[in-house]
Amino acid sequence: MRRIRPAVALAAVALAAAGVVSACSSSGGGNVASSSSDGKVTLTFQSLAFQKPTVAAVQKIVDSWNASHPNIQVNLVQGSWDTVHDKLVTEFEGGTAPDIIHDDAADVSYFSSQGYLADISGDLPSSLKSTVPQGSWDTVTSDGKVYGVPTLLQSYVVFANTDLLAKDHVTVPSGPTMSWDQLESIARQATTGGTYGLGWGLQSPTATMLTLGLNFGGTYFTGSGQNAKVNIGDTENQVPERIHAMAYTDKSLDPSSLAQSGTDVLPTFLAGKDAMIIGGNYVAQQISEQAPKNFHWTVLPPLAGSSADQAADPQVLAVSQASKHIPQATQFLDYFMSASNLAAVAQGDWLIPTSAAARSVIQQDTGGKDGWAETLAGAQYQVPAPFQSATNYSQWKVQTAEPAYQQYLANKISLQQLDSKLVAGWSQAGE
Amino acid sequence: MNRRKPAIRAGQYVALALYIVFLAFPLLWLLSISLKGPQELASIAPDLIPHHFQWGNYGNALTQQGLLRSALNSTIVALASTALTIVVALPAAYALTRFRSRLSGLATGWILVSQLFPVVLIVIPLFMILRSAHLLNSLVGLTLVYLVWTLPYVLWMLRGHVASLPPGLEEAAAVDGAGRLRTLATIVFPLLRPGIVATAMFAFISAWNEFFFALVMLQGTTQTLPLTLAQFVGSQGQVSLGPLAAASVLSTIPSLIVFGFIQRRLASGLLSGAVKG
Repeated sequence: MRRIRPAVALAAVALAAAGVVSACSSSGGGNVASSSSDGKVTLTFQSLAFQKPTVAAVQKIVDSWNASHPNIQVNLVQGSWDTVHDKLVTEFEGGTAPDIIHDDAADVSYFSSQGYLADISGDLPSSLKSTVPQGSWDTVTSDGKVYGVPTLLQSYVVFANTDLLAKDHVTVPSGPTMSWDQLESIARQATTGGTYGLGWGLQSPTATMLTLGLNFGGTYFTGSGQNAKVNIGDTENQVPERIHAMAYTDKSLDPSSLAQSGTDVLPTFLAGKDAMIIGGNYVAQQISEQAPKNFHWTVLPPLAGSSADQAADPQVLAVSQASKHIPQATQFLDYFMSASNLAAVAQGDWLIPTSAAARSVIQQDTGGKDGWAETLAGAQYQVPAPFQSATNYSQWKVQTAEPAYQQYLANKISLQQLDSKLVAGWSQAGE
Repeated sequence: MNRRKPAIRAGQYVALALYIVFLAFPLLWLLSISLKGPQELASIAPDLIPHHFQWGNYGNALTQQGLLRSALNSTIVALASTALTIVVALPAAYALTRFRSRLSGLATGWILVSQLFPVVLIVIPLFMILRSAHLLNSLVGLTLVYLVWTLPYVLWMLRGHVASLPPGLEEAAAVDGAGRLRTLATIVFPLLRPGIVATAMFAFISAWNEFFFALVMLQGTTQTLPLTLAQFVGSQGQVSLGPLAAASVLSTIPSLIVFGFIQRRLASGLLSGAVKG
């Protein structure tokens, strides 16, 4: 075997090392926004639009903005909801985040606490501030600073097969809200033969429990940030207890649906195996697309306990702190939030626009059909919830709350054991 | 014994057929989903064969999310990283096998140790290096990352193939007056062709399917296929199932073409490096 000359080997290693050191030491990267010598600004907008009509609506907004603002051009890039958090963490750390970010309020709260998002309160026009309810602004506000613009909301609604309810002589509620007692009564009446009164995809139950817990004043947390403490009492137990009773006492809720996702229960609803299902209002789009021709359905009034409040976790458009053109980016956000633009995006995603003006446009366009009237009515009940500002909430949710609720809904643990696990898990999440 | 043979042979064919069904059924189901409309996809009793063929899913897949552009990006990155990996690994494998030095042992040990690092451990440092070199959001940067990521395993595979060649062939060529380079070009590399094909296939598939590095290093129009396919999944777990299945079927076509082209050499290449000497 030949021996490599030591001098040649050493020279090769030194050359490689010099290349690595020079690559690491040179500066690079930086924000994506650019401005040319003639003052023209180019912003990058990362959109998570997913539905075909929503993607088209966002593209139309960007194209029309670019046509009317030749000195402030917006470059649209497509992101994915599935990977947005990981991608933004890397982009913020590496200094390559887009100027305008699309995310949800809970994630925006996290990134703003890390200092990655700009306070745009000084650049927001008063017309925009007044058209969006204060409850929605509160989800993106911290210490008086506003870190984004809330755009679209989602609420949990009850979808009902009107033919099955009519067959069982059930009166469809028509008031402004529907109580949980009414829901349970309808579910019992509609449970006949091989049909369950209610199917509910609760594979990931925590968000549902904490969101609907506000129906009974259940806040789950007191305090905020690192000082938040978990609080599980009678009001917090209302929703899980009622669901459990419907499944295992009344036997009006399909227990197998509790282990499925929200969209997995749709086939049984469309096949007439469940008279009602509960899910996000966006499910209305899937029902419209997938239902057989002779399937008749409606959205029932919002669920209410002591109130019809639900936790608001809107989609948000925010501006990166590292952006060199924060006022211009905020101008684009204001344009995006105009009534017709936001209405087009909301209709594409079948979500509720935060602005009252956009809701009016949708009401006019749709005539309130396909559940839009009830969906839009849910906007007034969206309020911020304490869990959204609890620092360790995400960790507690994944490690403790999800498995504990799944065990309870599978009838494997009691309510007292559930409460103990939730409280003990919060102590561990804080360590 | 003669009476048992036909029964055993029949049993073997049945087992083989069941295994083929087991492997092929997910692909058949994917094809079936890609040809179904929203109503059939929501059916509580799905059938393998669609009742109404929905070719529009393929149209939606091609026009939504820029599938063709990302397919081109994936093809460029996969082919470039495969070629570069082979060009770098082949002489290195030869040197590690034929030339003994103090560095050989260290290099071999480093190849093995580098395989222990999980991706999440090195992705941030890699990101910082690419940012310093202005190679973020570029296919060149991603190609270099794939080169570095697959090089150790490809080097290890090729080392085995080189070791299976008798050194006597090179010594005979030297006796006949051939220089080192001529020996490599006319004797060694042609004999290594099956091994090169096998490792090239591995490098191509690794680059074609890779998601995490592409997610961190790329943005916008430079996206590769795995990232584009992820965009068919929206918030709250909503999935455009028909277009996603159609996009997935289309995404397998380049791999099938490459595999069909080299499959004859693949089987011999996989085994040729298995036994030394």
